[in-house]
Amino acid sequence: MVSRTRQLMAALREALGAADPLPPLPALPPVPAPPARVYSPRPEKSAFAAEAARHTTALLGIGHVGTRYATAVVLQFQAELAVAHAAVGAELPDGWAEAHGFVGLTTRVTSHREFLLRPDLGRRLSDASLEAVRTRCTRGADVQLIVADGLSAVACVQTGQQLHDAVAAACRARGLSVGTPVAARFARVWLEDEIGQETGAKVAMILLGERPGLGTGDGLSAYVVHEPRLGKTDGDRNMISNIHARGTPPDEAAARLAALAAAMIEQRTSGVTLDLARLGEATGGRGYRAPQVRQRLVNA
Amino acid sequence: MILEPIVPTVLSVRRLPGADPALIAAYGGDPARHTALGLVTCDQDDAMYVALDEATKHAAVDVIFARSFYAGSAHASGRLSGEVLGVLAAAEPQAVEHGLAALLGCLAHDACFYDADGKRTVTVFPHVIASLGEYLSREAGLPPGAAMAYLVAPPIEATIGLDAALKAADVRTVRVVPPPTETNFACAWLTGSLDACEAAALAYAAAVVDVALAPKR
Repeated sequence: MVSRTRQLMAALREALGAADPLPPLPALPPVPAPPARVYSPRPEKSAFAAEAARHTTALLGIGHVGTRYATAVVLQFQAELAVAHAAVGAELPDGWAEAHGFVGLTTRVTSHREFLLRPDLGRRLSDASLEAVRTRCTRGADVQLIVADGLSAVACVQTGQQLHDAVAAACRARGLSVGTPVAARFARVWLEDEIGQETGAKVAMILLGERPGLGTGDGLSAYVVHEPRLGKTDGDRNMISNIHARGTPPDEAAARLAALAAAMIEQRTSGVTLDLARLGEATGGRGYRAPQVRQRLVNA
Repeated sequence: MILEPIVPTVLSVRRLPGADPALIAAYGGDPARHTALGLVTCDQDDAMYVALDEATKHAAVDVIFARSFYAGSAHASGRLSGEVLGVLAAAEPQAVEHGLAALLGCLAHDACFYDADGKRTVTVFPHVIASLGEYLSREAGLPPGAAMAYLVAPPIEATIGLDAALKAADVRTVRVVPPPTETNFACAWLTGSLDACEAAALAYAAAVVDVALAPKR
């Protein structure tokens, strides 16, 4: 610590003519170090918590160290968060759609950053893509399928085509015609309204990467709407989320989605007015779910 | 030696890690927030007030009690009384410890009286605080972080000195305490820009030295 007042007075003293040196500063008193405190890990003792943790990937029964999480828990949390961040930051590679047999479309978004900041631009087709939909897509199909990146291009690349093919096969098995397969880049859910409107499909279904949660950067969601038109709201949609290996597997989801699409065409509506009770077990119901295992990303 | 620092003598430093709530309340603390106390006595009251304020800048401590004793340290009630008792209060002993470290460091290296006549029969406290802490800003009614000149000298020297300080720089008075006070010194708090406070403190110290060397000119 340099004392400004002492410097000022030393200068004044010199100006007044005193030449003899000042005595040295006294040593500062020692500051006692805080006592060292070491906490040992306290694992969760409750058998109920251990049993509950077997059935979910949520962080249950993780114990504590002092008042904090154990190091292994913190590292796992940070690793899962990093997976989620990486999934949001990923982009669909150029030419991915064409290479996998889709008609490639883009929205009015021009950059990935703009895609994250402007959801409204991700809901409308660019002029070139609108033209492509009008010229290259068959009109009047029962179901128009759209694969899109959404908030996780990782999920789209990993299982997008698999889910698309499974849904298309399930729809055809129910006697529904399926439109030209399209894949959209920088797309939000409501993009299905414009594509469905332009192709004149009875039902539009967008399969896109969902906003990642902890450790689930590879989840897809499917949003289904009857009579797609610009201006449809989320109340007009039905959806299935967590389509990935640890949630609803793609093949199982495809059967449910085809059942949903068939019900919409039969009932001529979708969203909150769709009578799901009449679908029965076709949409999955509330059956037994196998215990979930949390995937270890870190060994500590 | 004219304007030699007269380093304050710390006479006692004691901690009460879990003081009785009645004691804390009686000394102006809030028993709901304060549990640990740090108590210091010293032979220079104004250096202690500045050091207590310094402590509030370094740790989560409150100054709950700080009073000067009558007639100063030359007439103390006991060997450990000095001229002031300061009490820091905090929610935990570790905060008190950090506050005390800052307080003792300030007393040793910063705030002190200066010899004004070379014989230590006249002393002056021309202290500049660059940035007020929570305690003195509350006492002065200034925002925390303001600059303040804390000027103390015996009665006649303080009067001449204050006139010189006010004329030397663009400062305004925050508080002027004419004699007599508990210790029979006179005190003035001036505020302005840091440069102005420094110029005022220099003029004050020079005027006090001038009066001390030529009292009947």
